[in-house]
Amino acid sequence: MVELLDNLTQSAATLIAFIGASILYYRTRRQSFFLLACFLGCFMLGTFHWTLYILLFDSSPQVFYVSELAWNASFLFLLTLAYLLATEEEKKFRHPVLLLVPVFCIPQLILYLSRGEIFANLLMVGLTMAVAFFAMRGFVFARRQSGQARNLQYFHGAVLVIIFLEFGLWTSSCFWISDTMSNPYFWFDFLLSASLLALVPAMKKAVTA
Amino acid sequence: MTYVENIFVCLAAPLLVAMIFMGKKSCRFFLFAFAGMGACLLSAYLNSFFAQLYQADLMNASTQIAPVVEEVMKLMPLLFYLLVFEPESERIPSSVLTIAVSFATFENIVYLTQSGAENLAHLFIRGFGTGAMHIVCGAIICYGLVYVWQRNWLKIAGTAGLLGASITYHATYNLLVAHGGITQYIGYALPLVSLLLTGVMIKLATQLPSPVEVAKEGGAEESQIWK
Repeated sequence: MVELLDNLTQSAATLIAFIGASILYYRTRRQSFFLLACFLGCFMLGTFHWTLYILLFDSSPQVFYVSELAWNASFLFLLTLAYLLATEEEKKFRHPVLLLVPVFCIPQLILYLSRGEIFANLLMVGLTMAVAFFAMRGFVFARRQSGQARNLQYFHGAVLVIIFLEFGLWTSSCFWISDTMSNPYFWFDFLLSASLLALVPAMKKAVTA
Repeated sequence: MTYVENIFVCLAAPLLVAMIFMGKKSCRFFLFAFAGMGACLLSAYLNSFFAQLYQADLMNASTQIAPVVEEVMKLMPLLFYLLVFEPESERIPSSVLTIAVSFATFENIVYLTQSGAENLAHLFIRGFGTGAMHIVCGAIICYGLVYVWQRNWLKIAGTAGLLGASITYHATYNLLVAHGGITQYIGYALPLVSLLLTGVMIKLATQLPSPVEVAKEGGAEESQIWK
């Protein structure tokens, strides 16, 4: 029951965020809002399919996760967005804090590989790691800027939170406790829904004066 | 056991003869029709292979394996066409829709040979449902690709996104239909409702002021507005 509620909440949150990003794109015609809408749209499709499966069959898919394809595509859009937002100066920027990304991600990747499929995990973790790297670089770089350029920290910060929660979600799913709210998996997933919603105002603040 | 390759030969033979007599102008249409039916034939083989590999039953195969295999197989001839022939963007939609329609037609014929043709009402609903679903998936891919392939920075993410969207849509349709009961009919109605909603949205969008003008009025710089 909690799982269904969690998935319905996330479907609704991503739908609202997708509509918000689409309206902002329609009004401003900015590339950033277009890519954000694509990210949220793909994420919503994956979540919607997952929710529908649980609703109809009362279990997760047995053979293959179709939703994972949509989620992979959504992170590819987020990666493109994070890459395109970076200026030439930012692309050359290096800082020791960037090492935190592999330090945080690789041990968890090893855990996933020991418990699940190799290719799907490598693809998903590889994509999210790349997004986290760009977001961390963008966050540190934006914090050193002044004026409008500094506002990009909100977007990169929100992306970092999303990636952190995604990893928390995957890791907690490896140690499944129960289908109740005592399971940390649901805490991470509810927080993820909130942070996906927060991504739209964060992007608005980052790219509009 | 269904001999799908025999059905393919029976269907392709008259089309092949027609293609020879109708000349170069219609050649492209027939080639894409063959590509669509060929993709359906190969999908049938691959579906059986993966179902055997994962020990999947009919329900799991139709909801989790078939959508992925079928959408990827439909995209293959189109990607070949785009990468090798680099066609003009106005030629892409007709090619994709021909592939989608011939795929759906071949699938319907195979379904008829397997399940019989006694129940006209069910076949009528299924025919429209499945046909429209393949058209919707084809439309997602074709109008998306026309947009995406004009922008270099969007090619990889855009193609993956479109494939992901069409697979998820197809899987949602199969999920609803495979569940049976009332959800089956919601599934059959889904593609037609999607087509209807898309038509209404396009009509509404044409009545609204141009977004570029709105963006300029909103103070966006020229370089930030897409032309």
